[in-house]
Amino acid sequence: MEGGNRGNDKDKVRHVSPDRKANRTILLRTLLLLVMFGILTFIPLFGKLYAIQIRDHEMYQEKAIGQQTMDNAVSANRGQILDSNGKVLAMSATVYDVILSPNDFRKLQNNWDERYGKKPEGAKYPRPEVGDVSAGLAEILGLDPQKVQERMEKNTYYEVAATRIETEVADDLRQYITDKHLSNSVLLVPTTKRYYPYSSLAAQVIGWVNWKNDNKGAYGMEALYEEDLAGKTGRVVTAKDGDGKEMKYSFQDYYDASDGNTLHLTVDATIQYYCERVLEKGIEMFDVQNGGFVIAMDPKTGAIKAWANSPNYDLNTPWTITDPVLSEYLETVKNDPTAIESAYNEALGQAQNRQWRNKAMNDSYEPGSTFKSMVLAAALEEGVVNENSTFYCPGYYVVGNDSISCSQKAPGHGSQNLAKAVANSCNPAFMMIGQALGAEKFYNYLEDFGFLEKTGIDMQGEGNSIVWPRSTFVAPSTQQNTYLATASFGQGFQATPIQLITAASAVINGGHLMKPYVMESITAPDGTIIQQTEPTEVRQVISEETSARCRTILEGVVNGGTGKRAYVPGYRIGGKTGSSETVESRRGEDRTIVSFLGFAPADDPQIVVLLAYDAPKRSSSGSKLTSRGYYISGGNMAAVMAGELLSDILGDMGVEKVYTEAERAKIDMVVPNVVDQTAQIGQEAIQNSGFSVRTVGEGNVVTDQIPAGGAVIPSGSQVVLYLGEEKPADLVDVPDVRGKTAAQAQEILGQYGLYLKVSGSSSYMSSDAVVASQTIWVGTSVERGTVVECIFSDNTMVD
Amino acid sequence: MEQQLARGPMDLPFLMLVVLLTGIGVLMVFSASYATAVGEGRDATYYFIKQAQFAAMGFVLMYIASKVNYQWYRWASVLVLGLAFVMLILVLIPGFHTVRTDGVKRWLKMPVIHAFQPSEMAKLGVILYFAARMSKRNTEKKRRYDTQKPSGVIFQALEDSGFMELVPYGMILLAIIVLMYFEPHMSGTILILIPAAAILFTGGVKLRWFALGGSLVVGLLAIIITTTDYMTARINLWQDPWAYPRDGGYQIIQSLYAIGSGGLFGVGFGKGRQKLGFLPEAENDFIFSIACEELGLIGAGLILILFVLLILRGYWIALHARDRFGSLLVVGITTLMAVQVFLNISVVTNFLPTTGVSLPFFSYGGTALMIQLIEMGIVLGVSRQIPAPKQG
Repeated sequence: MEGGNRGNDKDKVRHVSPDRKANRTILLRTLLLLVMFGILTFIPLFGKLYAIQIRDHEMYQEKAIGQQTMDNAVSANRGQILDSNGKVLAMSATVYDVILSPNDFRKLQNNWDERYGKKPEGAKYPRPEVGDVSAGLAEILGLDPQKVQERMEKNTYYEVAATRIETEVADDLRQYITDKHLSNSVLLVPTTKRYYPYSSLAAQVIGWVNWKNDNKGAYGMEALYEEDLAGKTGRVVTAKDGDGKEMKYSFQDYYDASDGNTLHLTVDATIQYYCERVLEKGIEMFDVQNGGFVIAMDPKTGAIKAWANSPNYDLNTPWTITDPVLSEYLETVKNDPTAIESAYNEALGQAQNRQWRNKAMNDSYEPGSTFKSMVLAAALEEGVVNENSTFYCPGYYVVGNDSISCSQKAPGHGSQNLAKAVANSCNPAFMMIGQALGAEKFYNYLEDFGFLEKTGIDMQGEGNSIVWPRSTFVAPSTQQNTYLATASFGQGFQATPIQLITAASAVINGGHLMKPYVMESITAPDGTIIQQTEPTEVRQVISEETSARCRTILEGVVNGGTGKRAYVPGYRIGGKTGSSETVESRRGEDRTIVSFLGFAPADDPQIVVLLAYDAPKRSSSGSKLTSRGYYISGGNMAAVMAGELLSDILGDMGVEKVYTEAERAKIDMVVPNVVDQTAQIGQEAIQNSGFSVRTVGEGNVVTDQIPAGGAVIPSGSQVVLYLGEEKPADLVDVPDVRGKTAAQAQEILGQYGLYLKVSGSSSYMSSDAVVASQTIWVGTSVERGTVVECIFSDNTMVD
Repeated sequence: MEQQLARGPMDLPFLMLVVLLTGIGVLMVFSASYATAVGEGRDATYYFIKQAQFAAMGFVLMYIASKVNYQWYRWASVLVLGLAFVMLILVLIPGFHTVRTDGVKRWLKMPVIHAFQPSEMAKLGVILYFAARMSKRNTEKKRRYDTQKPSGVIFQALEDSGFMELVPYGMILLAIIVLMYFEPHMSGTILILIPAAAILFTGGVKLRWFALGGSLVVGLLAIIITTTDYMTARINLWQDPWAYPRDGGYQIIQSLYAIGSGGLFGVGFGKGRQKLGFLPEAENDFIFSIACEELGLIGAGLILILFVLLILRGYWIALHARDRFGSLLVVGITTLMAVQVFLNISVVTNFLPTTGVSLPFFSYGGTALMIQLIEMGIVLGVSRQIPAPKQG
């Protein structure tokens, strides 16, 4: 730097020194500023930038993205639930929530005012007014206009007006929004709704989806397979600006929603329907107080074919109580003037819980005599008894200091062989069998048949059995002998129904204890199989041979034993009745659980059912009859229903009826019309239909027949063909066949040229069934060949 | 000889840095402003084109300024300072300033450019005048006072201690402080005070006065901060902006989001999302945050380094200037530049409490950009007169 100040030459010399000094000062101080402002001040700035951009980058980025993006869920379609035949049990459809944005509505009004406020007559559409729009919305949505208006006047952008409106309503609403230029002040937000086409069918198995809880499965398969069914919710991440407006074109990430998988159940809707029908019918018939259940299972695989519970409910409206017993109870609480409101709500909650739960799995009960199937199997397997063993029943059996009575009070069943003892469901015989087995072996079989562990079925909330500990059960004392004795006829411990039917399946299927299951397979939306349940054998409990012997003996229960009311001509049904004592019944309360464990066909079981009614109401205290006169027992109640049920199920499964000669003679057949046929063809046609033929006259052509074509009479009956001869026109008086068995009635009616038609009990084949009434009064004059319908009844008490 | 010197070559590195920074700055204005422009119903390039036009005009003015023989500013400085004072007074008179809802009176209504900040003129005026006056310091005769009188003794003592020479500077600054206090415009005042102090410092004013002035300022600041609610609130805000997400903290939080989400490489030029209505004044005081978001630490660091180089080169020119006036002039302008950059980036990174300082060459604003480029032109003008290194 030249110390340059012009025009001061004379000072120049004099001030050289201070000037130089000043220049040095300037130089130094400029350098100082350079270091300070050019370097030092920037160091903390770089540090700060590093800290924000590198060190805390993720934190800031996350927060920034959080505010910059709108994350909209795209709901996935929930997978369907299908039955074993592909019938849709549960499906989803789109419904809409209606959201109001009153603030946006006011903006619409302001926009209108700005645009047309000065010249309203030039407006393309009228100004949107709160009252008008509220009324319009209320009408479409079926709401109170006043309440809608209140919502429209709130200061908010988000006000839920209605939830889950159906597509048709949504269409109307959409049209209304367009017509009234409401654009974004009324929004339709799609969501899904679950539909159950069969309403209440298999309700406790299927479960339902709780829209109050994010459309998650509640109860049943819906809950258990939630993850598979729900699919993956997609997301649309859209950039938004500081005002919260979407900026669709600047940034949008779409994560596809993947639809839920389809759940294929082992349940067959038809069989399920039969089970529910028979359950309801029985509950009504027998004045059942606590509902009941029916489980139908494929004994070979453990696949659940049907599972009915009562009380039942409609899956589409799970909170509504539809069961008549529960409704009645609720009514009484509601109408009770002393009850407070909370009591009703509590009762409602309890009722809802009762209808939702699957009691045939959540709860346990004392299985009663149905359990004898397992005791029988164990004893045969261990060889402690055989078909030739005899048991003497005096009507009671003494164990230690206790005398335990048989259902058949003294003089008891008397002397009986094994099959007869099972058919009689004789408690003393089974106590003897249990003792023959011994507590140790008995307990081993309890364990092997799966009564100490859960079956592991793929359903929610499987309950535990309540069984003595082994040490208690096998300890050598009187008390323990009583345990063994009562256990031998299925009392004193509790098992879940699913445990019982699983064990029973092992008895009849060749000894294989199968793990029961409900989920057949899970398939992806494109149909590929993701998961498939293979039948799982837990263990072999008894041998094939023992199993076969059990089937034979159990068939005898239906064939003339306590289960005879389950008999269906043409089908070989085996089973075991049960009339369980309960904790309550031992206290003298009115609660017996009547049940029937049945399987068919007996030689090759395709289906096993366990059917139980919880607490048929007795007509009076101490009575063994219901108000309609039904004897309260498994054999008189459950077996009747089981016969009907098995007949329906086997028919649906396509199992052919195979009649024995004796049966064939008694089943109803339709008489073909052979009038105007040649004698030979006519005779053959009649014979082929299972009737015998008698001809009257010598002609070659059938001129008349008795009974007329189309009549339904028992096969084996005689059809009379007239070959040219005149049909006798005389009338006969209907004889009295009341109190006669079927065979006797048929014989008597035949003598008069009349035919028997059986109705009433399906077990009319049994010698115990007698004609209770006949449709044509005794003494009425009728034509020969007339069919007399006789109503059979059999109310002998069988336990 | 003077003519020859005045026609010397411009300092090319400095020029290139200015052009580079202005270019990047204008592009950043485009990126940062298009969302605002669209939001206001304008064309996306509205602010960009305006800023580019101002930059073009600014380059012309810079060129002209660089061509002017800066010795001319010695006497012109008085005019500029005078004009600045007139403007500072006018801006306080209703009718002359732009009407704002917050009642701040910083802008004069102007034809063509709509509004002009008198403080910009004051910055330039103070730098020019102080540099001119300081450069004559050595030649000024020391005043002699009659030491017989008691007042003379005091004055003589003050003269000897170097106080008396500070009086005119002090008066000017005090007048400006008072006038700007009524605007009010604190950041503007700081931007006038620091370069002025830098010139006085470089010019040789005794260090004790800076120590005294510095401690005075620190003391005053301490009192102001502790006694006025407004300042206390600002300090609290600075220390924890998250505690005040609505009142004032919002902007700094958004700025940090922008800078932080940039990371090392940034989200890409034009792809920043914080400008979409989240970060207020994204194209103005907080444009550097957008640069950080879009260009990352690498891009932002590069911009900072360009600024550092510009500042270093500025001081280099000051060191090599032909005369003391040139040195002081460039020191003033460079320091002004440095302080503006430092304050702006300190604010957007929450290193210092919020003050409204724009970033030179980057922040949207035509007059500021043009004045900055004129200032750069002045520096270039000084650089033209740097004696060429002796050949051989």
